[in-house]
Amino acid sequence: MPIFGESSEAEVTRAILAGFTKDLGEYASTEVIIVGGGPSGLVAARELALNGVKNVVIERNNYIGGGFWIGGYLMNTVTLRAPAQKYLDEIGCPYKKYSENLYVTPGPHACSKLIAAAMDAGAKIQNMTSFEDIVLREKNRVAGVVINWTPVQALPHEITCVDPIALECELVIDATGHDAYVIQALEKRGLAKRIGEGGMWIEKSEDAVVEHTGIAYPGVIVAGMAVCSTYGLPRMGPTFGAMLLSGKRAAETALKELGRKPKKK
Amino acid sequence: MARTATRGKRRSPSASPPADWDIPRVVHLYADPSSGTLRVGEIADHFRDELGIPCDVREDFFSHHGGPDREALARAIAATRVRNIMRPFQPMEPLFGEVQFELRLLDEPAKRIPGILYDAYRYLRLMRELLPPRERTLRALHVAFEHRILGTFDEDGRYHARAVVCGYPSVVSTSGIVEGPAKPAAYYKVKAQLSIALGAIPFDAAKEPFKGQFIDYDDPRLTRVATGYALQAAMYHITKEPFCEDPDCRLFNAHWQAELIRAQVQSHRLCQRHREIARRVARAEPPAKGLSREPASGRRESHGRGR
Repeated sequence: MPIFGESSEAEVTRAILAGFTKDLGEYASTEVIIVGGGPSGLVAARELALNGVKNVVIERNNYIGGGFWIGGYLMNTVTLRAPAQKYLDEIGCPYKKYSENLYVTPGPHACSKLIAAAMDAGAKIQNMTSFEDIVLREKNRVAGVVINWTPVQALPHEITCVDPIALECELVIDATGHDAYVIQALEKRGLAKRIGEGGMWIEKSEDAVVEHTGIAYPGVIVAGMAVCSTYGLPRMGPTFGAMLLSGKRAAETALKELGRKPKKK
Repeated sequence: MARTATRGKRRSPSASPPADWDIPRVVHLYADPSSGTLRVGEIADHFRDELGIPCDVREDFFSHHGGPDREALARAIAATRVRNIMRPFQPMEPLFGEVQFELRLLDEPAKRIPGILYDAYRYLRLMRELLPPRERTLRALHVAFEHRILGTFDEDGRYHARAVVCGYPSVVSTSGIVEGPAKPAAYYKVKAQLSIALGAIPFDAAKEPFKGQFIDYDDPRLTRVATGYALQAAMYHITKEPFCEDPDCRLFNAHWQAELIRAQVQSHRLCQRHREIARRVARAEPPAKGLSREPASGRRESHGRGR
């Protein structure tokens, strides 16, 4: 008696194709596209999904989670400063208190919990997909993103002459980390500016990241480390509290922009 | 919204201060609602006792003088932000998000976000332009307590955070008092060691061994310290010289937190020379109406190492 039920190679192929095309068809036009599947992007995706906002996360890597898998120097303990540990409570991730106001948790546990929490809430994730450009509408408002397979970018152009495709949306969240790719795309057109990360490293820098999270350009919300490079804020080192709370603030801003009232959890 | 804190001391007609002193008839202090331990009323009392000058306490500077166009004000404040601490100030049109950030701070003056550095010279100029003409006179001393950190670009080729910037008006930064003067050298070593071990900066753990050795956010000693810096601003206004060489004088320009605590908390007094100056100020006749001059736009700042 075999363990697994019978199927065929063709049926497996059809199942993959059907699942993928159904998802792609759904998010070809969506309410919010989150570019970058790191901690701030995932929190934004979860919060939006919990509030019934249709969204998709575009991630260029095969793995989701960005830098949240590891802390500093490839050590996989991640740290959060209060009150960000409360978000770990929300997603059911255990943590320990290291010292007053500082909490630690294993990166793989926190990261996998966050990915699962975002997807459980209804967020869609499109990995191995690179952001190439923005879609502009009247008055230069951003109304979508242009994407392509990540491997296409990795191969010589003469081999991979593959045109990208575009996804439409009402809002884009730039959660692409230090690179701030969406803001960069606007900058190339002379529509926005990026100041680059600043040098001051003081105790309250994380607050500044959260407080600067918001609309950076019509149709674009900036979140996470992209906030630092957009506004020239200090880098805060490998501590993730600001990333989680910035993602939450980005979702709140998006809800406001979409004219939705946040649901009570 | 002004709260009068004092009445002036009786003045002796015999004392006549040097002609180049500008003794104000009134001091306007502006509160910093973001600081839970700053008691501006006590500072006003101190001004009365030390200098014999009537003093009122107002709400925060931008709430008092900012005017109705909050967006224009937010834009003007954002335009004074330092974008690169290693270069002299480069003017730039503020970004949309920067203006929104300043708008939120203006709407919620009790919010404190000290991660941003502002160019002191441009910030003071903006404040000066907001003062109504009747108050923009050397007969009025304006000292604003602020949570924003102001910095100046120095000869060593970088910006430094400041605790006080003396000018017209003068600003005492409650965040600058924490971030401006250097903490004990060993603190930075502990902070570096912990951040290497942990991959993050556990500020509270790093501070623990040095508790009391520097002024922290919402420190109970803040009012004492801020009083000393406000006195520096007053001395700059009156004599054009805000600082003193004596490390036990409240006008000492401290570069380290230890120096700051010695001058402002442990000593908590003016040196003999500055006590005499304060006495002469307290005894002086107020300047006659019509003799007032417009304030100059120069400035002096304290202090030392910024982050």
